[in-house]
Amino acid sequence: MEDKSINVMIVDDEPDFRELMTFWLQAKGYSVIPAEGGEVAVQLAKDKKADIIFMDLRMPRVDGVEAIKRIRGFDKDIPIIIISAHLDNEKAKQASDYGISGIFYKGEDFKQGLSLLEAALRTHKGLKKEQEPPSS
Amino acid sequence: METSVIILYVITALVSIAFAVFLFRLAKMSSHTPVKEDQRRRSDKYVQAESSADLSFDNFILKEVSKVVDPRRSSEIATRISHVVNEEVNKKVEGKTLEIVKKFDKVIEEKTKEQEIAWEKYEKVITEKKKTEAVIRSIAEGLVVVDEQGKVIMMNPAAEKLLGANREEKVGRSLLDGLKEEQMVSLVHDKPGKKDREIELISQQNETKKVLRASSAVVENEYGQTVGMVSVLSDITKQKNLDDMKSGFVANVTHDLRTPLVAIDKSLQMVLKGEAGQVSETQQQFLTIAERNLKRLSLLIDDLLDFSKLEAGKVQLKREAVSIGELIQNTMEELKSWAETKSLHLEKEIQENLPQVEIDAGRFNQVLGNLIGNSIKFTPKEGWITVSAKLNAQNQIEVCVEDTGIGISPEDLPRVFDKFYQAGERISTDIGGTGLGLSIAKEIIELHGGKIWAQSQKGSGTKFTFTLPVR
Repeated sequence: MEDKSINVMIVDDEPDFRELMTFWLQAKGYSVIPAEGGEVAVQLAKDKKADIIFMDLRMPRVDGVEAIKRIRGFDKDIPIIIISAHLDNEKAKQASDYGISGIFYKGEDFKQGLSLLEAALRTHKGLKKEQEPPSS
Repeated sequence: METSVIILYVITALVSIAFAVFLFRLAKMSSHTPVKEDQRRRSDKYVQAESSADLSFDNFILKEVSKVVDPRRSSEIATRISHVVNEEVNKKVEGKTLEIVKKFDKVIEEKTKEQEIAWEKYEKVITEKKKTEAVIRSIAEGLVVVDEQGKVIMMNPAAEKLLGANREEKVGRSLLDGLKEEQMVSLVHDKPGKKDREIELISQQNETKKVLRASSAVVENEYGQTVGMVSVLSDITKQKNLDDMKSGFVANVTHDLRTPLVAIDKSLQMVLKGEAGQVSETQQQFLTIAERNLKRLSLLIDDLLDFSKLEAGKVQLKREAVSIGELIQNTMEELKSWAETKSLHLEKEIQENLPQVEIDAGRFNQVLGNLIGNSIKFTPKEGWITVSAKLNAQNQIEVCVEDTGIGISPEDLPRVFDKFYQAGERISTDIGGTGLGLSIAKEIIELHGGKIWAQSQKGSGTKFTFTLPVR
């Protein structure tokens, strides 16, 4: 509950999954900003609404890879964790070229997602100066 | 008395001379046989020859008779001799002529028959040839025949169309000769062992890609020497597109099927773990049933997609040098707690110093998991499961999974590797199988060049054995 000020953006076109994850993270004390697609996510990131982003890869129109690419165009700093189904390995590889902080597989327990989130926050918030995210 | 004897001698001599002349004439006649003349003309000719011969013959006899006999009587004798001889000769000639005519007729008849047969055969061959040509012309597949140097001998219209070339251009040249470089994209799957290869072409008319499959067979002559090659070309562009669509479809279906499952699973987890408030014991019980069946459903979907990928040949093995003993150890560790719920004895017998095998470890973990999992499912409490590995006489790694379970009846045994085949009653609290585990195991093992088989005795256990080649 000490990270109350942290805003987590969840980008997924699947409303059910988005809602479930929102509920889970809110229960763990985070503020959640849901986004239903890549375009909205890019806009929200531009407006500096979030501290960290969970990004689904497979989305219609602007997909995860494209959204990350666009976000990295103006913000090389913000930690992004990708949400992936196992089959999206190719997309995950493309996305990691733009600098990501981890992959959360949809089949895994939400706990896994939470620990990825905490790890990313530790490296990015606390030790920002030492560890620059890889540039595109 | 004496004169009569002399006369007799003379007559005999004359008759012999006459006969000799006759024979000579006969011989001459038969040496030039008229083949294609009708009977009437033939006999006219003989009559003519006879009458002209008669006069000189009569004179000849008269001359000879007058030498020995009284000239007054000689004429009469000569006439009579001549008459007798002529009659005899004519009779003989007629007989012989008839005989010869018959013989000729027979020969002619035979010759004509032979000719007819030959003609019939020739016509038959021509018809057959035309038929074969019509077949070759009208088959939808392209047909190209090349000689031993690879030069085109013949090709049918379908082949011309497929290759976008015409026969006159191609005959006497190599098949792929003259195809413009930009036209031919690639020659793929040209494996030495296989006679099939795929040719990718860019069509001249509309710049679309065309994929052709060429299945070739060597043409041998009667002595077994290679004299050329016959290739059947078929357009597999559509099939290729469908294959691509199918794999795309599988990937999409995978995603679409998993998405709702994930949402259901996460929701259940949230409630079960009390994140959404207190859960009563009864509620917990039903939620557990829902969760268990959801797991079963996701396993089924995973297996189904896995199997469709394996069957379509879309699985790429990640081969690495692996110790089979370690792999068995790892899989057994994973399944230990499950086996313990049924108080099963899980044992292993691994031969020492087994060579490493180049296999996809993840896939073999799946194979072993399926086999050992089956044993756990079908072995009653307190039973035994033994996993062993050794090097067999053929220098292959041989792995056995043996149990003391319910076994498989002999009539079911050949079907255990069939899709969706399930033996025995399932226990309701078990996660249950998909009926695909063994089919998947078989596909994976065969993909590695190995073999799998089952032995069983109803009521006293089952033994699955698989082999893996050592490289």
